[in-house]
Amino acid sequence: MALATMTARIEMRGISKQFDAVKALSNVDLTLYPGEVHTIAGENGSGKSTLLKILAGVIQPNEGLIRIDGTSHVLTSVRGAMGLGVTMVSQELSLVPNLGIAENVFLGHNQTRDFIGINWKDTEKRAAELLKRLNLTVNPKQLVSTIPQHQQQLVEIARALSFDTRVLLLDEPTSSLDPAEVKSLFNVIRQLRDDGVAVVLISHRMSEMLEISDRFTVLRDGKLIDTGVKGDVSEAWLIDRMVLNKPKKISDSTYSIENKRAVLEVKGLSDRLGAFNNISFNLHAGEIVGVAGLAGAGRTELVETIVGSRPRISGEVLIDGVVVKANSRSSINAGIALVPDDRRTKSTIHEMSVRENLLLAQHQLPFSFRSKSKEAKIVNAWCERFKIKAADIDTPIKSLSGGNQQKVVIARCLQTNPKVLVLDEATRGIDLGAKAEIYEILRGLAKEGLGILAVSSEISEIFEISDRVLVMHAGKLAADMGREEMTEANVVAAATGSNKKGDQ
Amino acid sequence: MSLKLPRWSSLPAWSGVLLLEVLLFIFMAISQPEFVSAGNLSNIVRSAAIPIVLGIGMTYTILTAGIDLSVGSVLAFSGILLSGMIDHMPRYAAVVVTIALVTLIVGGINGTLIGRFGLNSFVVTLGSLGIFRGISYLVTNGTTQNIDAGPLIRALGDGNVGPVPGPLLVVIVLAAISIFVLRSTFFGRDVYAVGGNEFAAQLAGIYTGRVKMNVYVISAACAGLAGVMQVGRLDSAAPTAGAGLELAVVAGVLLGGTRLSGGVGSITGTVIGVLFLQTVSNSLTIQGVSSYWQQIVTGVLLGAAVLFDRIRLELSSRAPSRKDKE
Repeated sequence: MALATMTARIEMRGISKQFDAVKALSNVDLTLYPGEVHTIAGENGSGKSTLLKILAGVIQPNEGLIRIDGTSHVLTSVRGAMGLGVTMVSQELSLVPNLGIAENVFLGHNQTRDFIGINWKDTEKRAAELLKRLNLTVNPKQLVSTIPQHQQQLVEIARALSFDTRVLLLDEPTSSLDPAEVKSLFNVIRQLRDDGVAVVLISHRMSEMLEISDRFTVLRDGKLIDTGVKGDVSEAWLIDRMVLNKPKKISDSTYSIENKRAVLEVKGLSDRLGAFNNISFNLHAGEIVGVAGLAGAGRTELVETIVGSRPRISGEVLIDGVVVKANSRSSINAGIALVPDDRRTKSTIHEMSVRENLLLAQHQLPFSFRSKSKEAKIVNAWCERFKIKAADIDTPIKSLSGGNQQKVVIARCLQTNPKVLVLDEATRGIDLGAKAEIYEILRGLAKEGLGILAVSSEISEIFEISDRVLVMHAGKLAADMGREEMTEANVVAAATGSNKKGDQ
Repeated sequence: MSLKLPRWSSLPAWSGVLLLEVLLFIFMAISQPEFVSAGNLSNIVRSAAIPIVLGIGMTYTILTAGIDLSVGSVLAFSGILLSGMIDHMPRYAAVVVTIALVTLIVGGINGTLIGRFGLNSFVVTLGSLGIFRGISYLVTNGTTQNIDAGPLIRALGDGNVGPVPGPLLVVIVLAAISIFVLRSTFFGRDVYAVGGNEFAAQLAGIYTGRVKMNVYVISAACAGLAGVMQVGRLDSAAPTAGAGLELAVVAGVLLGGTRLSGGVGSITGTVIGVLFLQTVSNSLTIQGVSSYWQQIVTGVLLGAAVLFDRIRLELSSRAPSRKDKE
């Protein structure tokens, strides 16, 4: 393809975006041509999703210019971007499950109307045509909740096509698909490309990227690293640029489980909603165990069940050999506490102060009085120990940076004197400095004999802190590897389900 | 006075309503001197006391992101319960037993269904709104029960204790206790936590179901007390008493800055908010405005207050970055 001679459909120039203390993108360029499939590659946190969201009008950049068909535009809303032909299908599906397929495809726009209201017959006919283009044969009257997830994804794409979409952004469209489904999705993508649509993909699977893409853009730590075209780009080329100059640091701890007691035992744990099945493992005092896996592998569900905040169908959790009742308070009393994956929805109470948030897991009889001065002493001690930067302990937690908020949540857990600390994506949305501090804190705690279970989507993070790695794939424990087996290849292979070894 | 005013976004949510209350007072004092007569002021206090007592209970429920729509009906139910018992035991005992029974029955039903079984508070209390109004009509056959309330009950609802109106004392004591409970006990902390982020509260080991149950028990107790006060005020118990009052009470609570989504609000705000609505209504009456207008004014004020709070929040939230992370 002689791209240079074609007119670019999208030109993004000098895009920068700052989230609180985190610089998500700095001075990134992206050019998209009609009729190409363009992959944006990079590790977790490299800024791929942010870049796509900016192009889709979901978020606005702090700096930078976006030209569409040569005219510069300020995209302030998703609707505005759609009007210009740019539509995004995000990782999390955004369909309304209790409405029909056709209703979802045309939700809020473009339904055929007649004098009574919506002309369902015609709307359904047009939906069926779009679905057919995607090789999806379902009844458009069917409720979205009744079709499997990969079909829902196609409905989402149909919805995108129902707008006059000339630029289609797909954020990890294959993460929940099986190989056959991926194949049919790729056929759809090729067809769209041949129709002149510019398709942008984010994917974590190398082979898929290489198979489908015409061009590649690599981001790392929010910066544009390189671009390449099909033929020049190989797996090695990509990895080289994605992780360049950043050899994976493997934990240099000399921890050995010999003579250590198992402080946490998980036996045959199964989720009531089927997110994971029959999980068993041990965690020893002073040991840091990383839990790796792809999104949707059931890691968050597993750890939330371990601390009793999610219903289980079978299995038990033991702390120091004693079975723990399946509720949060019993877990805390038994000595296991969780730092959840999403601060906003699961761990901080936004309107409350640092003090209240830090002491949230302290309990006494309901109508007993609180000693404000004793509390202040405790909270100040934690702020000092963890270098929590807050104006004072009674400022609302929402005024703190993500890293400081997370330290408050960790302190909350530690104040309960746990024997096991469980962390889910402990450093998500946190700047590099605070990240390093949190790693340091975790290592220190392990040295004091705490057992630590850390779920993370960043392989580098897992490698940096773990003595041992559990890998989950599709709700099952796919591998349990010690430091000597820990390589990126092994972990990725287990997480994608391509290795059959190491099964317990 | 220092010239540096605090940033208005950092003021408590009820400060706007307090300012309006003061302005209204000044305006009325100038235009209608009778407004500030001792008689009228005590009238305002007496008429505000019952909705304030209900509002204090309501504040607990709204702080947990719930609501108690049954308070008006329960007020009537409580009065009728009292009228049935008053001839069979000493009056103080009748008062205690009435409030205890109301708390047990109403609080038990609402609290169990909402706290234990996790049903929606709007639906559950809408149900009990109907049930207790219906029971009140049934047992009285729809007639008003005349009661010789006696000095104790009258003092609670209408009379004076020394120079101070009894209802004012009730409000002061109840508000003081509630402010203390919400600020300085573990239960108070749990109430805010459950309303602020139920998942986080549960994960931190708070028994969220029990907290929710307790707030409906507290609200029922307040409604029971308000029913007794109403009897003292009118020397009678009517099955129609307090009809529609729940909405005025909710309006007052929200005016006072308590957020319907839970986790934010205060008793002080509730007292000011409900008092303000009563002052408005009293002022309109004195100005000779039709009582129909009062409802319209209440509606407009509520809309304005919520809008004002939203603007205040928008201004105080730092940068647009918060919205971005969706």
